Amino acid sequence: MISFRYQDKGTVIHKLNPFCKLLWVATIVIFALIFDSPLYILLLFLSTLPMAMVAKVWKEWASFMKFTLYICIAIIIINMLLSYHGTHVLLEAPFRLPVTGTPIITLEAIFFGVVMSVRLLAIISAFTILTFTIHPDDLMLSMIKMKLPYKSVLVTSLSTRFIPTLIDDVECISDVQRSRGLELDKGNLRQKIKSRMAIMIPLLSNSLDRTVQVSEAMESRAFGCGEKRTFYKEIGVSRMDAITLIFGLLTIAVGVFMCLSGYGDYQYYPTLEGINISGLEWPLLSLLMLLLLSVVLLAFTKGRIELD
Amino acid sequence: MIKIENLTFGYSGAEKPALQDVKLEVGDGEFVLITGPSGGGKSSLCRCLNGLIPHFYGGKITGKVEVQGLNVVKHSTKELATKIGMIFQDPENQLVAVDVEREIAFGLENLAFPRDLIAKRMEESLDTLGISDLRYRQVHELSGGEKQKVVIASVLALHPDVLVLDEPTSELDPKGAEEVLTTLDRLNDELGITVILIEHRLDRVVHLVDRLVILHAGRLIADGTPRQVLGGGEVANIGVGIPPIIKLVRGLRGKGIGIDDTPMTVKEGRSILDSVFQNAKRAVLWEKKELDGKPIISIDKLWHAYSNGLNALKNVNLTVHEGEFVAIMGRNASGKTTLVKHINGLLKPTKGSVRVDGINTKEASIAELAQKVGFVFQNPNDHLFADTVEDEIAFTLKNLRFKSEEVASKVDEMLERFNLAPYRHQYPRSLSGGEKQRVALASVIAAHPKILILDEPTRGMEYRLKSELMDFLNGYRSQGNAVILVTHDVETVAEHADRVILLSEGKIVVDGDKREVLSKALLFSPQINRLVQAFERYGVRGDILTADEALEILE
Repeated sequence: MISFRYQDKGTVIHKLNPFCKLLWVATIVIFALIFDSPLYILLLFLSTLPMAMVAKVWKEWASFMKFTLYICIAIIIINMLLSYHGTHVLLEAPFRLPVTGTPIITLEAIFFGVVMSVRLLAIISAFTILTFTIHPDDLMLSMIKMKLPYKSVLVTSLSTRFIPTLIDDVECISDVQRSRGLELDKGNLRQKIKSRMAIMIPLLSNSLDRTVQVSEAMESRAFGCGEKRTFYKEIGVSRMDAITLIFGLLTIAVGVFMCLSGYGDYQYYPTLEGINISGLEWPLLSLLMLLLLSVVLLAFTKGRIELD
Repeated sequence: MIKIENLTFGYSGAEKPALQDVKLEVGDGEFVLITGPSGGGKSSLCRCLNGLIPHFYGGKITGKVEVQGLNVVKHSTKELATKIGMIFQDPENQLVAVDVEREIAFGLENLAFPRDLIAKRMEESLDTLGISDLRYRQVHELSGGEKQKVVIASVLALHPDVLVLDEPTSELDPKGAEEVLTTLDRLNDELGITVILIEHRLDRVVHLVDRLVILHAGRLIADGTPRQVLGGGEVANIGVGIPPIIKLVRGLRGKGIGIDDTPMTVKEGRSILDSVFQNAKRAVLWEKKELDGKPIISIDKLWHAYSNGLNALKNVNLTVHEGEFVAIMGRNASGKTTLVKHINGLLKPTKGSVRVDGINTKEASIAELAQKVGFVFQNPNDHLFADTVEDEIAFTLKNLRFKSEEVASKVDEMLERFNLAPYRHQYPRSLSGGEKQRVALASVIAAHPKILILDEPTRGMEYRLKSELMDFLNGYRSQGNAVILVTHDVETVAEHADRVILLSEGKIVVDGDKREVLSKALLFSPQINRLVQAFERYGVRGDILTADEALEILE
């Protein structure tokens, strides 16, 4: 069984400064959104793989990706059925619908769906790697350092902390109700919803009770005592961390520059463009890839301070 | 020093005040135990001490509460945090961080202490609690006892003069509970911290404390040393769980045998009661219940492996008869719950077979088995979801496809039997703890299952509710039904069960009559049995388990 909790596996990625990891994820997300070219998006997705490998979170990553693939299949099918742009018609329905006209399935629509999926995979991949390599308390601390309000960050962090407890709760309550003869999968939709209520109501009420208890315990430990608050652990930024961060910012700068210069642009409709890479694009793209991977390479460098 | 004068408090919207005219003074360094039936105002009193009442819970408060010279009405809970530390029942709901270290730092950070001071306090608290080996662990990996110790460390780091603990052991297994209580004793003894502890199980703590306070219906009805209070008359009929050894002494006094001192521990009991046991009647025969019922559960070579490959049950063979009262005991994770979940089909055998009233559980759904097997889980809050008590009870019956006239008559019968008729149209979750437990039980019993399983029903339960439940179970058993109780509670087992099964590492290590299993066992013996073992030299039977049995042979 895979544990979906953070585990410190002690790899260089786990030890990497949380700000560097957050910047890396931001880079992937920005690029996934600004580039349209299938080649760029595929390369972007592939660039996240070395990170997962070095961090040894392969198994957890794979199970998240498997789940995302289902969403991808749904995206591809929906786009295929609803997008009637494109000129290469593969299939035409023998009937007409009002407003939209005759449904057709085009090569362009399928391809667009596929590329959208890879785009989603790249983003989810980056976030998955982040989740499994950043200590939840460090994530919280980085958010606070980025001037997000402490209370909101704490609430977010607390709610993620209670997810495993909630899963245990669901299991226990469903055992209770099934022992009382409740059949969860019998009957029509209405009955199914009704039988789910026997689990949802105790779950929600128990969670509410829990909330009161947690806040009592926090009050009793002087929570919200004054405006100011100190932190026992600080995220130190060493010289190597700073260099890694500069490389990260440089990556974004180069990417944005390329996008503004018209590289990585692509038209799916009405007909698929060919992927033409002009003279200067090759070296630029290679540079961008190298910069994207730089965080993995820099993670191996010495001179990092441990969090204290 | 804590000073409470004429304190009366009522929650907003409540008819009766939760606390009435309470007067209490606790000096520095005292260890005070507060007990009494549930709903008596124990938790409310604790919450008054650190200002959760009236700042967190609104209501009407009169009188005065002063902690270390600070009036709690004028000072908030946060301000009081460095004076008085508060620890609650469930450690799970008191932890806010992922790491042990950051958990301990939480309160100190809130007070904006500089980092070097936090580091110093952290070392101190880790050492005081003896948990420095846990410092880099994540809290979810810890056992219940360890978690509660982390909570205590995080409160202790604020250097409070007083620690208040509201049933800190009720969610823990006996080992975890023991660890926490020993820790408290040390904090009080060595560091001079004032400790105020709420606890139901007096036999575990009564020898540690200086003072025992009993709250009943919002009033303070007894206050004194445990010897005075437990030897005195106030505790008699209000449902305080008097330790068996003290119960024995009180019984002897009732018979006219004067015993001057009241023993707090087994050791004291041995010397105080020595002369009485010398004159014990020798020949007493316990009637042994004959098992004339038909076998109703047969478990044959049962193995169970979880998906992670762990073998939770290893070759378990077991037969339970109609009319039997079986207790299943064992350490945490010894396979107790896994075993009973096989009986109602929540779990299916990996190897071997489980037959319930002739039905192989592998071939039946849980719903089919629910007609034969009723299962009551520990927390009634997991049971209750319907809008009214009536609907809650009817829910199980409707699931099991009873006809609607039958449902109505059975619901009426249950409401009557469990004294729930006045609450018929009330929302079950708004009832008190004991009433909720009765609704949960009624909803399961309504279908008249021939087998009734209860998974740790008495954990954290006060004495009176426990004995009510046990009386009911005894009655249910005598109608020819089998009752199976999963529990850590040795005293309850000694008093009520017939047969005890001890599980360890997924295997049955002992299975037999309670007298054979529980007497002369090192850890599993009830208090009275540990006492009488010393008197075997006078010819006293070594298999006496309860105070009532001991009273029979003494005059």
